[in-house]
Amino acid sequence: MATKSYDAVVIGAGPGGYVAAIRLALLGKKAGLIEKEGTLGGVCINWGCIPSKALIAAANLVEDIRGAADRGILAERPRVDLAKLRQFKNDVVKKMTGGIDLLEKGNGVEVLKGTAAFVGPGAVEVKGKDGTDRVEAPAFILATGARPIELPGFAFDGKDVWSAREAVDLPELPGHLVVIGGGVIGLELGTVYAKLGSRLTVVEALPSILTGVDAEAVRLVQKGLKERGAEVIVGAKAMEAGRKGKVLTVKVEVDGKERVLECDKVLVAVGFRPNTEGLGLDQVGVRLSPKGFVEVDERYQTSAPGIHAIGDLTGPPFLAHKASKEGEIAAEVIAGRKSARDWVAMPGAIFTEPEVGTVGMSEDEARKAGYEPLVGKFYFSALGRAVAIDHTDGFVKVVGDKASKQLLGVTIAGPEASDLIAEAALALEMGANLEDVALTVHAHPTLPEAFMEACKAALGEAIHRLNRPERPPRSPAPA
Amino acid sequence: MALRLVLPDIGEGVVEAEVVKWLVAPGDEVAEDQPLVEVMTDKATVTIPAPGRGRVVRLLVREGEVARVHQALLELEAEPGASPTPPPGGRARVPERAEGPKPEAAPPPAQAKSQTGAKPLAAPAVRALARRMGVDLATVTGSGPGGRILRQDLSAPGAPARAAGPAAPAGHAPSPPGPVEVVPLRGVRRKIAENVARSKRTAAHFTLVEQVDVTELTRVKERLAAAAREQGVKVTFLPFVVKAVVAALKRHPYLNSSLDEEKGEIHLKRWYDIGIASATDQGLLVPVIRRADQRSLADLASEIERLSTEARAGRARPEDQGGSTFTITSLGALGGLFATPVINHPEVAILGLHRIRPTPVAKDGAVVVRDVMHLSLSFDHRVVDGHVGAAFAYEVIATLEDPSLLFLEMV
Repeated sequence: MATKSYDAVVIGAGPGGYVAAIRLALLGKKAGLIEKEGTLGGVCINWGCIPSKALIAAANLVEDIRGAADRGILAERPRVDLAKLRQFKNDVVKKMTGGIDLLEKGNGVEVLKGTAAFVGPGAVEVKGKDGTDRVEAPAFILATGARPIELPGFAFDGKDVWSAREAVDLPELPGHLVVIGGGVIGLELGTVYAKLGSRLTVVEALPSILTGVDAEAVRLVQKGLKERGAEVIVGAKAMEAGRKGKVLTVKVEVDGKERVLECDKVLVAVGFRPNTEGLGLDQVGVRLSPKGFVEVDERYQTSAPGIHAIGDLTGPPFLAHKASKEGEIAAEVIAGRKSARDWVAMPGAIFTEPEVGTVGMSEDEARKAGYEPLVGKFYFSALGRAVAIDHTDGFVKVVGDKASKQLLGVTIAGPEASDLIAEAALALEMGANLEDVALTVHAHPTLPEAFMEACKAALGEAIHRLNRPERPPRSPAPA
Repeated sequence: MALRLVLPDIGEGVVEAEVVKWLVAPGDEVAEDQPLVEVMTDKATVTIPAPGRGRVVRLLVREGEVARVHQALLELEAEPGASPTPPPGGRARVPERAEGPKPEAAPPPAQAKSQTGAKPLAAPAVRALARRMGVDLATVTGSGPGGRILRQDLSAPGAPARAAGPAAPAGHAPSPPGPVEVVPLRGVRRKIAENVARSKRTAAHFTLVEQVDVTELTRVKERLAAAAREQGVKVTFLPFVVKAVVAALKRHPYLNSSLDEEKGEIHLKRWYDIGIASATDQGLLVPVIRRADQRSLADLASEIERLSTEARAGRARPEDQGGSTFTITSLGALGGLFATPVINHPEVAILGLHRIRPTPVAKDGAVVVRDVMHLSLSFDHRVVDGHVGAAFAYEVIATLEDPSLLFLEMV
């Protein structure tokens, strides 16, 4: 058994781990990066964000072509060659994982393929194809991520019952797809299949899909699903998947009544559990939270000296960009820099129809934090660019502090919302107030003008809508 | 049930208070009426008790921060059955709002907690620089729009204003050659720092020093002290000085005034509240003898005794602090030959008393040993010219040298 030693070792090469390794190398550390899968990039690059976006973009293109008749483009019945689309998606993934290989190598990070487990403080054993190595380092970053939760009665078999990983591989186009879980992943992938032609049913246990997202944005997403023939069943408990002859069945319980859905495939996307098992964390005294996530402080230090943890492993929200940021911070802390978590707001992007982008506080959260919220809204239906591209569903909603006019949060539902939210994130980090955005010239005709107009609307100075007070929210917070 | 303890309405005119010291920490179990936190207003230090039994969830204001009245100070997880209702009389127990626990299944989509009203406004690069410099942004006053903290607002702890420039490549402030004990500027110390700095910034200090022959006064004082002791009153020199000062202030009203620079007005005060600067363990306090002109010598003596006893014991009352029109500071044994007292803003003059010592003086052509004391009078030249201040000083001196003149001031 060979022994290798490094200044710091990262376990897991997802968007948290591979970034942490590069940052360590940039700061002059001899870094090792351990990955058990064949390629670098983790769930995000291989089976998550990146391939799903390739599919979503393709599905949007199909829809655009179908809907182009209004604009005089007659190609109503586009056919989709699934194998070709899958190949395109695989090529996208390959490009990205290959890029990470080059980056790690170019920065001098050593990649070790295998499964790591602590054998004592400062040492792990890595079991690979060609045997076991001992790897020593004074500092470790745990970045092993999380995996989909398996529901009782819905064992993932990769055939009938898919996890996101199977669904994103686009093995076939089921006639009827039932998605258990109306969260971000279930809705994003469900929407892809709906756009490509599957019938879609979404089963959600809570009273609403996309819990925690602005209610008006959720209504738009629901409308988008309905327009694509999808059924959304909320407050429904998924009991079990079964077979009735050749047909796949999903038993659900709604309001105490049982209902059986007949379908071709089931996708279960009801959340994640952390990948803490098999790492030998008990060997080194890494403490877990009651829910099983690794506990860290604002410098991503765990309860075990010299061991840091980042990303999904440390709990929700499960966001790749959050993991990357945390990886950078942990690497900087290891390199002796005074670094710590201090972001003002963590943006979120949801690739539904329409897309939803969020950053900072919602109106309710602002009120709970003690602000008197000032809300401004602008609808894409009044924006020249949105009308011209024929994507007018949606709005930009800004929340500010009435007293100081400081910007507190932004929700965008609509075309390119996932891109538009970046400007709002920068504004929040810079401590901008509503006027700062309202007074910044935005190029015309572009979608970001809606952000500017929403800030103007909050100040009662919108140009392209009538300035009337916003309606009070439907469920005002308890005073 | 979660309760929020807010800063109560402590007294008239109090709009904010500094959190001086937390007496509990998150996780602590507290009993009803247990002291939770010490806060200091411009008038006094007050302890705020727990509104009921419970467990401290978190502290919402840091030590040294100033909270406004009705601002939440801490979050308390009340015990079931503990009454959250405020008692009559509006004491410290004012739960702001009771919130139920949040449903766990609904994590907010974005980081919301980190941005509260208290979080300082600063761009990411400025925050990173502050961390490298070891500067707590909560202690920095931003000069940017809306109070935003700019790069140039940062300065390393202990260093004068200007910080490391944009470059600061390694990012480390030079380390001191030895260990440094860091003491936060809090409470009375902070108030003193603010007040004397403001005084020095605004007033044009002019100090006049003269000596006083108090041989006669010493004799009178000793005679009166013996008589007063039987009434249970301890007579010192100070009541005589207060009497002499009030008499002189009546004839020189500009020394009993304040300057409103903004309005361009001098306010001559027709009442005489004399502050007595007193050293205490917490720092310098200035309890005030109200309406000193309407009090007899014995009355002044007992009031001075009360004020100084309470101040030294840390029991200074809010109503005895602030609002003086003129201040006397007894520099005493450690006062040196003379000093340059700092005016107690917004007053315009302060009188320093030095120790009395037997001193050879020329009297009637011969050198004799007399009891001599130095006076150091600082006044604000913006309001009081040199000859006016001197005339005041010599009148005080004349009275102290010939205490029989005090009969003229009998009420």
